[in-house]
Amino acid sequence: MKESIREQAMLLGPRRSLVGILAQAASSPTDAERPMVLILNSGIIHRVGANRLSVALARELAAAGFPVLRFDLSGIGDSEPRADGLAPLDAAMADIREVLGSLEGSRGTRRVVLAGLCSGADHAAIFSASDPRVVGLVLLDPSIPKTRGYYLRYYGMRLGRPGTLLNVLRGRHPMWSWMKTRMAGAPGSPPESFGPDLQSAEIRAYLEGVYRSSVERGVQFLAVFTAGHERIHNYREQLLDAFPGIRFGERLRLEYFGDSDHTFTPGVARERLVRLVVDWASGANFSTAREPDDAEPSSEGRARGSAIPASRPATP
Amino acid sequence: MNPFYFGSGQHRLFGIYMPPLARRAGARSIVLCHPWGQEYLRAHRSMRQLASTLAAAGHHVLRFDYFGTGDSAGEMAQASLGDWEGDIAFAIEELRDTTAAAKVALVGLRLGAALAARVAARRPEDVDALVLWDPVVGGAEYLGELVSGASYAMDRVPRPADAGGGYDVLGFPLTGTLMKEIAAIDLCELVPAIPARMLVLASQALPSHQRLEAALARRPAGEGALERIECEPAWLEKEDLGAGAIPVAILQRIAGWFG
Repeated sequence: MKESIREQAMLLGPRRSLVGILAQAASSPTDAERPMVLILNSGIIHRVGANRLSVALARELAAAGFPVLRFDLSGIGDSEPRADGLAPLDAAMADIREVLGSLEGSRGTRRVVLAGLCSGADHAAIFSASDPRVVGLVLLDPSIPKTRGYYLRYYGMRLGRPGTLLNVLRGRHPMWSWMKTRMAGAPGSPPESFGPDLQSAEIRAYLEGVYRSSVERGVQFLAVFTAGHERIHNYREQLLDAFPGIRFGERLRLEYFGDSDHTFTPGVARERLVRLVVDWASGANFSTAREPDDAEPSSEGRARGSAIPASRPATP
Repeated sequence: MNPFYFGSGQHRLFGIYMPPLARRAGARSIVLCHPWGQEYLRAHRSMRQLASTLAAAGHHVLRFDYFGTGDSAGEMAQASLGDWEGDIAFAIEELRDTTAAAKVALVGLRLGAALAARVAARRPEDVDALVLWDPVVGGAEYLGELVSGASYAMDRVPRPADAGGGYDVLGFPLTGTLMKEIAAIDLCELVPAIPARMLVLASQALPSHQRLEAALARRPAGEGALERIECEPAWLEKEDLGAGAIPVAILQRIAGWFG
Protein backbone atom coordinates (compact mmCIF):
# COMPACT_ATOMS: atom_id res chain seq x y z
CA MET A 1 0.00 0.00 0.00
CA LYS A 2 1.30 3.44 -0.96
CA GLU A 3 2.51 5.50 2.00
CA SER A 4 2.05 9.22 2.39
CA ILE A 5 5.36 11.05 2.31
CA ARG A 6 6.97 14.07 3.83
CA GLU A 7 9.68 16.29 2.38
CA GLN A 8 12.25 18.45 4.10
CA ALA A 9 14.76 20.92 2.77
CA MET A 10 18.38 20.40 3.77
CA LEU A 11 21.75 22.06 3.55
CA LEU A 12 24.44 19.39 3.20
CA GLY A 13 28.19 19.07 3.16
CA PRO A 14 30.82 20.47 5.52
CA ARG A 15 30.07 24.03 4.39
CA ARG A 16 26.28 23.48 4.37
CA SER A 17 26.44 24.67 0.78
CA LEU A 18 24.63 21.88 -1.07
CA VAL A 19 20.84 22.21 -1.23
CA GLY A 20 18.78 19.04 -1.16
CA ILE A 21 15.24 17.81 -0.61
CA LEU A 22 14.79 14.62 1.41
CA ALA A 23 11.60 12.67 0.77
CA GLN A 24 10.59 9.76 2.94
CA ALA A 25 7.52 7.83 3.93
CA ALA A 26 5.66 9.34 6.86
CA SER A 27 6.40 6.13 8.76
CA SER A 28 10.01 6.07 7.64
CA PRO A 29 11.74 2.68 7.65
CA THR A 30 15.18 2.39 9.12
CA ASP A 31 18.11 2.60 6.78
CA ALA A 32 18.83 -1.09 7.31
CA GLU A 33 15.66 -2.02 5.47
CA ARG A 34 16.08 0.15 2.39
CA PRO A 35 19.10 1.94 0.95
CA MET A 36 18.79 5.66 0.43
CA VAL A 37 18.37 6.76 -3.16
CA LEU A 38 20.36 9.80 -4.29
CA ILE A 39 19.13 11.47 -7.46
CA LEU A 40 21.83 13.49 -9.22
CA ASN A 41 21.54 16.52 -11.53
CA SER A 42 21.27 16.13 -15.29
CA GLY A 43 23.57 18.68 -16.85
CA ILE A 44 22.85 22.05 -15.29
CA ILE A 45 19.15 21.44 -14.66
CA HIS A 46 18.45 21.83 -10.97
CA ARG A 47 17.33 19.10 -8.62
CA VAL A 48 13.69 18.94 -9.78
CA GLY A 49 14.99 17.32 -12.97
CA ALA A 50 14.05 17.60 -16.63
CA ASN A 51 10.25 17.79 -16.88
CA ARG A 52 10.16 17.55 -13.05
CA LEU A 53 11.14 13.87 -13.43
CA SER A 54 13.31 13.77 -10.32
CA VAL A 55 10.43 15.04 -8.17
CA ALA A 56 8.07 12.36 -9.50
CA LEU A 57 10.68 9.65 -9.06
CA ALA A 58 11.60 10.75 -5.54
CA ARG A 59 8.00 10.91 -4.34
CA GLU A 60 7.04 7.49 -5.72
CA LEU A 61 10.18 5.85 -4.36
CA ALA A 62 9.56 7.48 -0.99
CA ALA A 63 5.98 6.22 -1.00
CA ALA A 64 7.41 2.75 -1.67
CA GLY A 65 9.56 3.03 1.45
CA PHE A 66 12.88 4.37 0.17
CA PRO A 67 14.34 7.55 1.64
CA VAL A 68 15.27 9.71 -1.36
CA LEU A 69 17.50 12.75 -1.58
CA ARG A 70 17.53 15.06 -4.60
CA PHE A 71 20.30 17.58 -4.35
CA ASP A 72 22.20 20.09 -6.44
CA LEU A 73 25.88 19.59 -7.13
CA SER A 74 28.04 22.61 -6.36
CA GLY A 75 27.40 25.53 -8.68
CA ILE A 76 24.21 23.99 -10.06
CA GLY A 77 20.70 24.98 -9.04
CA ASP A 78 20.77 26.51 -5.58
CA SER A 79 24.04 25.00 -4.34
CA GLU A 80 27.02 27.24 -3.83
CA PRO A 81 30.03 26.77 -6.08
CA ARG A 82 33.12 25.14 -4.59
CA ALA A 83 36.08 27.30 -3.70
CA ASP A 84 38.76 24.65 -4.11
CA GLY A 85 39.18 24.92 -7.86
CA LEU A 86 38.45 21.25 -8.59
CA ALA A 87 37.76 20.31 -12.21
CA PRO A 88 34.05 19.62 -12.88
CA LEU A 89 34.18 15.81 -12.65
CA ASP A 90 36.37 15.85 -9.54
CA ALA A 91 34.05 18.46 -8.00
CA ALA A 92 31.01 16.28 -8.65
CA MET A 93 32.72 13.31 -7.04
CA ALA A 94 33.70 15.42 -4.04
CA ASP A 95 30.15 16.77 -3.72
CA ILE A 96 28.64 13.28 -3.71
CA ARG A 97 31.21 12.16 -1.15
CA GLU A 98 30.41 15.14 1.07
CA VAL A 99 26.68 14.52 0.84
CA LEU A 100 27.18 10.88 1.77
CA GLY A 101 29.31 12.05 4.66
CA SER A 102 26.49 14.33 5.84
CA LEU A 103 23.95 11.52 5.53
CA GLU A 104 26.15 9.01 7.30
CA GLY A 105 26.78 11.45 10.12
CA SER A 106 23.16 12.54 10.59
CA ARG A 107 21.22 9.39 9.68
CA GLY A 108 23.73 6.55 9.74
CA THR A 109 23.26 6.03 5.99
CA ARG A 110 25.67 3.35 4.82
CA ARG A 111 24.05 2.07 1.63
CA VAL A 112 22.91 4.16 -1.31
CA VAL A 113 21.49 3.77 -4.77
CA LEU A 114 22.69 6.50 -7.13
CA ALA A 115 20.31 7.56 -9.89
CA GLY A 116 20.83 9.95 -12.74
CA LEU A 117 19.99 10.92 -16.28
CA CYS A 118 22.70 11.65 -18.85
CA SER A 119 25.59 13.32 -17.00
CA GLY A 120 23.89 12.29 -13.78
CA ALA A 121 24.08 8.67 -14.90
CA ASP A 122 27.74 9.10 -15.78
CA HIS A 123 28.52 10.66 -12.40
CA ALA A 124 26.64 7.85 -10.67
CA ALA A 125 28.54 5.13 -12.54
CA ILE A 126 31.92 6.77 -12.00
CA PHE A 127 31.35 7.40 -8.29
CA SER A 128 30.10 3.88 -7.72
CA ALA A 129 33.34 2.44 -9.07
CA SER A 130 35.25 3.68 -6.06
CA ASP A 131 32.77 3.75 -3.19
CA PRO A 132 31.49 0.54 -1.59
CA ARG A 133 28.51 2.36 -0.07
CA VAL A 134 26.88 2.32 -3.52
CA VAL A 135 24.76 -0.84 -3.79
CA GLY A 136 22.62 0.13 -6.77
CA LEU A 137 22.69 2.28 -9.89
CA VAL A 138 19.83 3.69 -11.93
CA LEU A 139 21.40 4.85 -15.18
CA LEU A 140 19.18 6.72 -17.61
CA ASP A 141 20.87 7.28 -20.98
CA PRO A 142 24.45 7.01 -19.69
CA SER A 143 27.38 7.67 -22.01
CA ILE A 144 28.61 4.44 -23.58
CA PRO A 145 30.95 3.77 -26.53
CA LYS A 146 29.52 3.19 -29.94
CA THR A 147 29.65 -0.27 -31.45
CA ARG A 148 29.47 -1.85 -34.86
CA GLY A 149 25.78 -2.36 -34.24
CA TYR A 150 25.42 1.35 -33.57
CA TYR A 151 26.96 2.35 -36.92
CA LEU A 152 24.95 -0.23 -38.82
CA ARG A 153 21.73 1.14 -37.36
CA TYR A 154 22.87 4.77 -37.73
CA TYR A 155 23.62 4.47 -41.45
CA GLY A 156 20.84 2.01 -42.08
CA MET A 157 18.37 4.62 -40.87
CA ARG A 158 19.84 7.38 -42.98
CA LEU A 159 20.27 5.39 -46.15
CA GLY A 160 16.53 5.08 -46.03
CA ARG A 161 16.28 8.82 -46.54
CA PRO A 162 16.46 9.85 -50.23
CA GLY A 163 18.67 12.91 -49.64
CA THR A 164 21.23 10.94 -47.66
CA LEU A 165 21.29 8.08 -50.16
CA LEU A 166 21.96 10.51 -53.00
CA ASN A 167 24.83 12.12 -51.09
CA VAL A 168 26.35 8.73 -50.35
CA LEU A 169 26.10 7.63 -53.98
CA ARG A 170 27.60 10.89 -55.19
CA GLY A 171 30.45 10.68 -52.70
CA ARG A 172 29.41 13.89 -51.00
CA HIS A 173 28.36 12.53 -47.62
CA PRO A 174 30.73 13.42 -44.72
CA MET A 175 31.03 9.68 -44.05
CA TRP A 176 33.34 9.34 -47.10
CA SER A 177 35.84 11.99 -46.00
CA TRP A 178 35.89 10.51 -42.51
CA MET A 179 36.51 7.03 -43.87
CA LYS A 180 39.29 8.33 -46.15
CA THR A 181 40.93 9.98 -43.15
CA ARG A 182 40.74 6.84 -41.05
CA MET A 183 41.98 4.61 -43.88
CA ALA A 184 44.95 6.96 -44.38
CA GLY A 185 45.90 6.14 -40.79
CA ALA A 186 45.26 9.61 -39.43
CA PRO A 187 43.57 9.61 -35.99
CA GLY A 188 40.77 11.93 -37.13
CA SER A 189 37.63 12.56 -35.20
CA PRO A 190 34.31 11.13 -36.28
CA PRO A 191 32.00 13.49 -38.09
CA GLU A 192 30.28 16.05 -35.90
CA SER A 193 27.03 14.19 -36.38
CA PHE A 194 28.42 11.33 -34.30
CA GLY A 195 28.62 13.58 -31.26
CA PRO A 196 31.25 13.41 -28.51
CA ASP A 197 34.06 10.96 -29.14
CA LEU A 198 33.71 8.09 -26.67
CA GLN A 199 35.65 5.88 -29.04
CA SER A 200 39.19 6.57 -27.94
CA ALA A 201 40.87 3.51 -26.49
CA GLU A 202 41.63 5.44 -23.33
CA ILE A 203 38.03 6.49 -22.70
CA ARG A 204 36.69 3.07 -23.62
CA ALA A 205 39.09 1.41 -21.19
CA TYR A 206 38.21 3.92 -18.49
CA LEU A 207 34.46 3.34 -18.85
CA GLU A 208 34.95 -0.40 -18.94
CA GLY A 209 36.92 -0.20 -15.72
CA VAL A 210 34.21 1.91 -14.12
CA TYR A 211 31.46 -0.56 -14.91
CA ARG A 212 33.58 -3.63 -14.16
CA SER A 213 34.47 -2.36 -10.72
CA SER A 214 30.81 -1.99 -9.71
CA VAL A 215 29.80 -5.30 -11.28
CA GLU A 216 32.52 -7.15 -9.41
CA ARG A 217 31.38 -5.56 -6.17
CA GLY A 218 27.83 -6.83 -6.68
CA VAL A 219 26.15 -3.51 -7.45
CA GLN A 220 22.63 -3.88 -8.89
CA PHE A 221 22.07 -2.03 -12.15
CA LEU A 222 18.98 -0.65 -13.83
CA ALA A 223 20.01 0.82 -17.17
CA VAL A 224 17.41 2.56 -19.33
CA PHE A 225 18.12 3.82 -22.81
CA THR A 226 15.83 6.01 -24.88
CA ALA A 227 15.46 6.54 -28.58
CA GLY A 228 16.22 10.22 -28.10
CA HIS A 229 19.98 10.14 -27.64
CA GLU A 230 21.14 8.72 -30.96
CA ARG A 231 24.34 10.73 -30.97
CA ILE A 232 25.48 8.28 -28.28
CA HIS A 233 23.41 5.10 -28.58
CA ASN A 234 20.61 3.71 -30.67
CA TYR A 235 19.76 0.17 -29.52
CA ARG A 236 19.02 -1.70 -26.34
CA GLU A 237 21.99 -4.07 -26.19
CA GLN A 238 24.61 -1.43 -27.01
CA LEU A 239 25.77 -1.38 -23.37
CA LEU A 240 26.45 -5.11 -23.49
CA ASP A 241 28.14 -4.98 -26.89
CA ALA A 242 30.27 -2.00 -25.82
CA PHE A 243 31.70 -3.97 -22.89
CA PRO A 244 31.71 -7.60 -24.05
CA GLY A 245 34.22 -8.57 -21.38
CA ILE A 246 31.94 -7.58 -18.48
CA ARG A 247 29.56 -10.23 -17.16
CA PHE A 248 26.64 -8.19 -15.90
CA GLY A 249 24.44 -11.27 -15.56
CA GLU A 250 21.44 -10.97 -13.32
CA ARG A 251 22.77 -7.80 -11.75
CA LEU A 252 21.68 -5.78 -14.76
CA ARG A 253 18.13 -5.00 -15.80
CA LEU A 254 18.26 -3.38 -19.21
CA GLU A 255 15.33 -1.51 -20.74
CA TYR A 256 14.76 0.51 -23.90
CA PHE A 257 12.16 3.24 -24.29
CA GLY A 258 11.70 3.44 -28.03
CA ASP A 259 8.86 5.93 -27.72
CA SER A 260 10.63 8.50 -25.58
CA ASP A 261 13.06 11.31 -26.10
CA HIS A 262 16.16 11.84 -23.97
CA THR A 263 14.36 13.70 -21.17
CA PHE A 264 11.17 11.59 -21.04
CA THR A 265 9.05 14.51 -22.24
CA PRO A 266 5.86 12.49 -22.83
CA GLY A 267 4.02 12.13 -19.54
CA VAL A 268 3.29 8.46 -20.26
CA ALA A 269 7.02 7.78 -20.67
CA ARG A 270 7.76 9.39 -17.31
CA GLU A 271 4.98 7.46 -15.63
CA ARG A 272 6.26 4.21 -17.10
CA LEU A 273 9.83 5.04 -16.09
CA VAL A 274 8.85 5.83 -12.52
CA ARG A 275 6.91 2.56 -12.23
CA LEU A 276 9.89 0.69 -13.65
CA VAL A 277 12.35 2.23 -11.19
CA VAL A 278 10.06 1.60 -8.21
CA ASP A 279 9.46 -2.00 -9.29
CA TRP A 280 13.15 -2.60 -9.84
CA ALA A 281 14.19 -1.02 -6.54
CA SER A 282 11.50 -2.84 -4.60
CA GLY A 283 12.62 -6.20 -5.99
CA ALA A 284 16.37 -5.74 -6.15
CA ASN A 285 18.66 -7.61 -3.79
CA PHE A 286 20.80 -4.76 -2.53
CA SER A 287 23.57 -6.23 -0.49
CA THR A 288 27.20 -5.71 0.35
CA ALA A 289 29.84 -6.88 -2.14
CA ARG A 290 29.74 -10.47 -3.26
CA GLU A 291 31.61 -12.66 -5.73
CA PRO A 292 30.85 -12.33 -9.44
CA ASP A 293 28.82 -15.11 -11.10
CA ASP A 294 30.92 -18.05 -12.29
CA ALA A 295 28.75 -19.08 -15.24
CA GLU A 296 29.32 -17.43 -18.62
CA PRO A 297 25.97 -15.76 -19.47
CA SER A 298 24.29 -16.64 -22.75
CA SER A 299 23.46 -13.85 -25.14
CA GLU A 300 19.86 -14.14 -23.96
CA GLY A 301 20.82 -14.20 -20.32
CA ARG A 302 23.41 -11.42 -20.50
CA ALA A 303 21.03 -9.12 -18.76
CA ARG A 304 17.47 -9.21 -17.55
CA GLY A 305 15.18 -6.91 -19.37
CA SER A 306 11.82 -6.53 -20.89
CA ALA A 307 10.85 -8.01 -24.20
CA ILE A 308 10.04 -4.55 -25.47
CA PRO A 309 11.62 -4.36 -28.91
CA ALA A 310 13.68 -1.34 -29.79
CA SER A 311 11.53 0.94 -31.86
CA ARG A 312 11.98 4.42 -33.15
CA PRO A 313 9.62 7.27 -32.28
CA ALA A 314 7.34 8.58 -34.98
CA THR A 315 9.13 11.06 -37.19
CA PRO A 316 7.95 14.55 -36.10
CA MET B 1 20.62 30.98 2.13
CA ASN B 2 17.77 29.21 3.83
CA PRO B 3 15.73 26.59 1.93
CA PHE B 4 12.47 25.76 3.71
CA TYR B 5 8.87 24.68 3.37
CA PHE B 6 5.97 26.93 4.33
CA GLY B 7 2.22 26.61 4.08
CA SER B 8 0.39 23.67 5.60
CA GLY B 9 -1.17 20.30 4.97
CA GLN B 10 -1.27 19.28 1.35
CA HIS B 11 -0.38 22.83 0.22
CA ARG B 12 3.23 23.04 1.36
CA LEU B 13 5.30 25.41 -0.72
CA PHE B 14 9.07 25.39 -1.12
CA GLY B 15 11.00 28.62 -0.79
CA ILE B 16 14.53 29.88 -0.48
CA TYR B 17 15.13 32.97 1.60
CA MET B 18 18.33 34.94 1.03
CA PRO B 19 19.13 37.48 3.73
CA PRO B 20 20.96 40.71 2.88
CA LEU B 21 24.69 40.26 2.44
CA ALA B 22 25.36 43.91 3.11
CA ARG B 23 23.93 46.39 5.58
CA ARG B 24 22.15 49.30 3.99
CA ALA B 25 19.44 51.83 4.61
CA GLY B 26 16.21 51.15 2.80
CA ALA B 27 16.66 47.40 2.43
CA ARG B 28 13.70 46.02 0.50
CA SER B 29 11.87 42.72 0.94
CA ILE B 30 11.47 41.22 -2.53
CA VAL B 31 9.49 38.17 -3.68
CA LEU B 32 10.51 36.62 -7.02
CA CYS B 33 7.74 35.04 -9.12
CA HIS B 34 8.83 32.31 -11.54
CA PRO B 35 7.61 31.69 -15.09
CA TRP B 36 5.74 28.54 -16.18
CA GLY B 37 6.73 25.03 -17.20
CA GLN B 38 9.93 24.63 -19.22
CA GLU B 39 10.51 28.38 -18.89
CA TYR B 40 10.78 27.87 -15.12
CA LEU B 41 13.48 25.22 -15.56
CA ARG B 42 15.43 27.22 -18.13
CA ALA B 43 15.25 30.49 -16.20
CA HIS B 44 15.97 28.96 -12.79
CA ARG B 45 19.65 29.91 -12.79
CA SER B 46 18.83 33.47 -13.88
CA MET B 47 16.34 33.86 -11.05
CA ARG B 48 18.87 32.42 -8.64
CA GLN B 49 21.48 34.87 -9.90
CA LEU B 50 18.99 37.74 -9.58
CA ALA B 51 18.32 36.74 -5.97
CA SER B 52 22.05 36.65 -5.25
CA THR B 53 22.54 40.05 -6.91
CA LEU B 54 19.73 41.62 -4.90
CA ALA B 55 20.93 40.03 -1.65
CA ALA B 56 24.46 41.27 -2.35
CA ALA B 57 22.96 44.76 -2.75
CA GLY B 58 21.50 44.50 0.74
CA HIS B 59 17.93 43.32 0.15
CA HIS B 60 15.90 40.42 1.56
CA VAL B 61 14.84 38.00 -1.20
CA LEU B 62 12.39 35.12 -1.24
CA ARG B 63 12.10 32.78 -4.23
CA PHE B 64 9.42 30.11 -4.10
CA ASP B 65 7.76 27.43 -6.21
CA TYR B 66 4.02 27.59 -6.91
CA PHE B 67 1.87 24.64 -5.90
CA GLY B 68 2.42 21.76 -8.29
CA THR B 69 5.74 23.11 -9.55
CA GLY B 70 9.38 22.75 -8.61
CA ASP B 71 9.86 21.40 -5.10
CA SER B 72 6.44 22.43 -3.82
CA ALA B 73 3.74 19.91 -3.06
CA GLY B 74 1.17 18.79 -5.54
CA GLU B 75 0.85 18.31 -9.25
CA MET B 76 0.48 21.06 -11.84
CA ALA B 77 -2.54 19.31 -13.31
CA GLN B 78 -4.42 20.15 -10.08
CA ALA B 79 -3.37 23.81 -10.03
CA SER B 80 -4.88 27.04 -11.34
CA LEU B 81 -3.66 30.60 -11.86
CA GLY B 82 -5.90 31.58 -8.96
CA ASP B 83 -4.02 29.09 -6.77
CA TRP B 84 -0.72 30.59 -7.87
CA GLU B 85 -1.82 34.14 -7.13
CA GLY B 86 -2.77 32.84 -3.70
CA ASP B 87 0.72 31.31 -3.40
CA ILE B 88 2.29 34.70 -4.15
CA ALA B 89 0.16 36.10 -1.31
CA PHE B 90 1.44 33.31 1.01
CA ALA B 91 5.00 34.15 0.00
CA ILE B 92 4.40 37.84 0.73
CA GLU B 93 3.15 37.00 4.22
CA GLU B 94 6.04 34.60 4.83
CA LEU B 95 8.61 37.22 3.86
CA ARG B 96 6.93 39.93 5.90
CA ASP B 97 6.95 37.61 8.93
CA THR B 98 10.69 37.13 8.43
CA THR B 99 11.66 40.75 7.78
CA ALA B 100 8.87 42.72 9.49
CA ALA B 101 8.55 44.74 6.29
CA ALA B 102 5.37 46.78 5.99
CA LYS B 103 5.26 46.29 2.24
CA VAL B 104 7.12 44.13 -0.25
CA ALA B 105 8.25 44.31 -3.86
CA LEU B 106 7.35 41.68 -6.44
CA VAL B 107 9.58 40.74 -9.37
CA GLY B 108 7.97 38.48 -11.97
CA LEU B 109 9.27 36.90 -15.17
CA ARG B 110 6.92 36.02 -18.05
CA LEU B 111 3.77 34.40 -16.58
CA GLY B 112 5.15 35.20 -13.15
CA ALA B 113 5.06 38.87 -14.10
CA ALA B 114 1.39 38.69 -15.09
CA LEU B 115 0.55 36.94 -11.81
CA ALA B 116 2.59 39.47 -9.83
CA ALA B 117 0.76 42.34 -11.55
CA ARG B 118 -2.62 40.82 -10.62
CA VAL B 119 -1.56 40.43 -6.99
CA ALA B 120 -0.16 43.97 -6.89
CA ALA B 121 -3.42 45.31 -8.31
CA ARG B 122 -5.51 43.47 -5.69
CA ARG B 123 -3.23 44.08 -2.72
CA PRO B 124 -1.92 47.67 -2.91
CA GLU B 125 -1.62 47.67 0.88
CA ASP B 126 1.00 44.91 0.65
CA VAL B 127 2.93 45.64 -2.57
CA ASP B 128 4.58 48.99 -3.26
CA ALA B 129 7.03 48.06 -6.04
CA LEU B 130 6.64 45.84 -9.07
CA VAL B 131 9.13 44.65 -11.69
CA LEU B 132 7.64 43.07 -14.80
CA TRP B 133 10.42 41.26 -16.64
CA ASP B 134 9.39 40.27 -20.18
CA PRO B 135 5.81 39.97 -18.94
CA VAL B 136 3.05 37.98 -20.57
CA VAL B 137 0.95 40.84 -21.94
CA GLY B 138 -1.94 39.02 -23.61
CA GLY B 139 -2.89 35.48 -22.72
CA ALA B 140 -3.82 34.45 -26.25
CA GLU B 141 -0.46 35.70 -27.53
CA TYR B 142 1.34 33.69 -24.84
CA LEU B 143 -0.61 30.51 -25.58
CA GLY B 144 0.36 30.95 -29.23
CA GLU B 145 4.03 31.16 -28.21
CA LEU B 146 3.75 27.99 -26.15
CA VAL B 147 2.12 26.12 -29.02
CA SER B 148 4.60 27.29 -31.63
CA GLY B 149 7.47 26.38 -29.29
CA ALA B 150 6.11 22.84 -29.03
CA SER B 151 5.94 22.05 -32.71
CA TYR B 152 7.08 18.42 -32.44
CA ALA B 153 4.50 15.71 -31.84
CA MET B 154 6.25 14.58 -28.65
CA ASP B 155 6.33 18.15 -27.30
CA ARG B 156 2.59 18.84 -27.56
CA VAL B 157 0.32 15.96 -26.67
CA PRO B 158 -3.43 16.27 -26.09
CA ARG B 159 -4.50 15.38 -22.56
CA PRO B 160 -7.55 13.22 -21.89
CA ALA B 161 -10.68 15.09 -20.86
CA ASP B 162 -10.86 13.20 -17.57
CA ALA B 163 -7.34 14.46 -16.77
CA GLY B 164 -8.36 18.09 -17.27
CA GLY B 165 -8.02 18.29 -21.04
CA GLY B 166 -5.65 20.75 -22.67
CA TYR B 167 -2.16 19.64 -23.72
CA ASP B 168 1.09 18.43 -22.26
CA VAL B 169 3.38 21.17 -23.56
CA LEU B 170 7.11 20.43 -23.49
CA GLY B 171 6.54 17.98 -20.66
CA PHE B 172 4.23 20.11 -18.51
CA PRO B 173 0.45 19.91 -18.26
CA LEU B 174 -1.30 22.94 -19.75
CA THR B 175 -4.75 21.87 -18.60
CA GLY B 176 -8.02 23.18 -19.94
CA THR B 177 -8.36 25.24 -16.73
CA LEU B 178 -4.93 26.83 -17.13
CA MET B 179 -5.49 27.53 -20.81
CA LYS B 180 -8.79 29.28 -20.07
CA GLU B 181 -7.28 31.34 -17.26
CA ILE B 182 -4.19 32.25 -19.29
CA ALA B 183 -6.33 33.30 -22.25
CA ALA B 184 -8.04 35.83 -19.96
CA ILE B 185 -4.78 37.60 -19.05
CA ASP B 186 -4.67 41.22 -20.24
CA LEU B 187 -1.84 43.14 -18.63
CA CYS B 188 -2.86 46.33 -20.43
CA GLU B 189 -6.08 46.44 -18.39
CA LEU B 190 -4.16 46.19 -15.12
CA VAL B 191 -1.07 48.34 -15.39
CA PRO B 192 -2.62 51.83 -15.64
CA ALA B 193 -4.14 51.60 -12.16
CA ILE B 194 -1.51 49.63 -10.18
CA PRO B 195 -0.33 52.12 -7.55
CA ALA B 196 3.00 50.38 -6.95
CA ARG B 197 6.14 51.92 -8.42
CA MET B 198 6.80 49.93 -11.58
CA LEU B 199 9.68 48.85 -13.82
CA VAL B 200 8.82 47.07 -17.07
CA LEU B 201 11.63 45.40 -19.01
CA ALA B 202 11.66 43.56 -22.33
CA SER B 203 14.56 41.60 -23.79
CA GLN B 204 12.39 40.19 -26.58
CA ALA B 205 9.91 42.14 -28.72
CA LEU B 206 6.28 41.09 -28.76
CA PRO B 207 3.50 42.33 -31.06
CA SER B 208 1.56 43.32 -27.93
CA HIS B 209 4.25 45.76 -26.79
CA GLN B 210 2.72 48.65 -28.72
CA ARG B 211 -0.52 48.24 -26.79
CA LEU B 212 1.40 47.81 -23.55
CA GLU B 213 3.29 51.05 -24.10
CA ALA B 214 0.02 52.87 -24.65
CA ALA B 215 -1.34 51.39 -21.41
CA LEU B 216 1.80 52.32 -19.48
CA ALA B 217 1.57 55.87 -20.81
CA ARG B 218 -1.72 56.19 -18.90
CA ARG B 219 0.07 55.66 -15.56
CA PRO B 220 0.48 58.68 -13.29
CA ALA B 221 3.43 60.81 -14.36
CA GLY B 222 4.17 58.27 -17.10
CA GLU B 223 6.19 56.19 -14.61
CA GLY B 224 6.81 52.61 -15.63
CA ALA B 225 7.51 53.05 -19.37
CA LEU B 226 8.61 49.93 -21.22
CA GLU B 227 12.41 49.64 -21.27
CA ARG B 228 13.98 47.50 -23.95
CA ILE B 229 17.26 45.81 -23.06
CA GLU B 230 18.65 43.69 -25.84
CA CYS B 231 19.94 40.40 -24.48
CA GLU B 232 19.26 36.70 -24.71
CA PRO B 233 16.00 35.46 -23.22
CA ALA B 234 16.47 33.71 -19.90
CA TRP B 235 13.53 31.37 -20.52
CA LEU B 236 14.57 29.89 -23.87
CA GLU B 237 17.08 27.04 -24.03
CA LYS B 238 20.57 28.09 -24.99
CA GLU B 239 22.14 25.46 -27.26
CA ASP B 240 21.56 22.07 -25.60
CA LEU B 241 22.17 23.19 -22.04
CA GLY B 242 18.63 22.68 -20.78
CA ALA B 243 18.92 26.22 -19.44
CA GLY B 244 18.68 29.74 -20.75
CA ALA B 245 21.36 32.38 -20.85
CA ILE B 246 21.74 34.62 -17.81
CA PRO B 247 20.86 38.15 -19.01
CA VAL B 248 23.32 40.11 -16.95
CA ALA B 249 22.14 43.50 -18.24
CA ILE B 250 18.59 42.80 -17.09
CA LEU B 251 19.73 41.66 -13.66
CA GLN B 252 21.89 44.75 -13.25
CA ARG B 253 19.00 47.01 -14.28
CA ILE B 254 16.66 45.42 -11.76
CA ALA B 255 19.23 45.68 -8.97
CA GLY B 256 19.96 49.27 -9.93
CA TRP B 257 16.27 50.16 -9.90
CA PHE B 258 15.94 48.97 -6.32
CA GLY B 259 18.88 51.16 -5.49
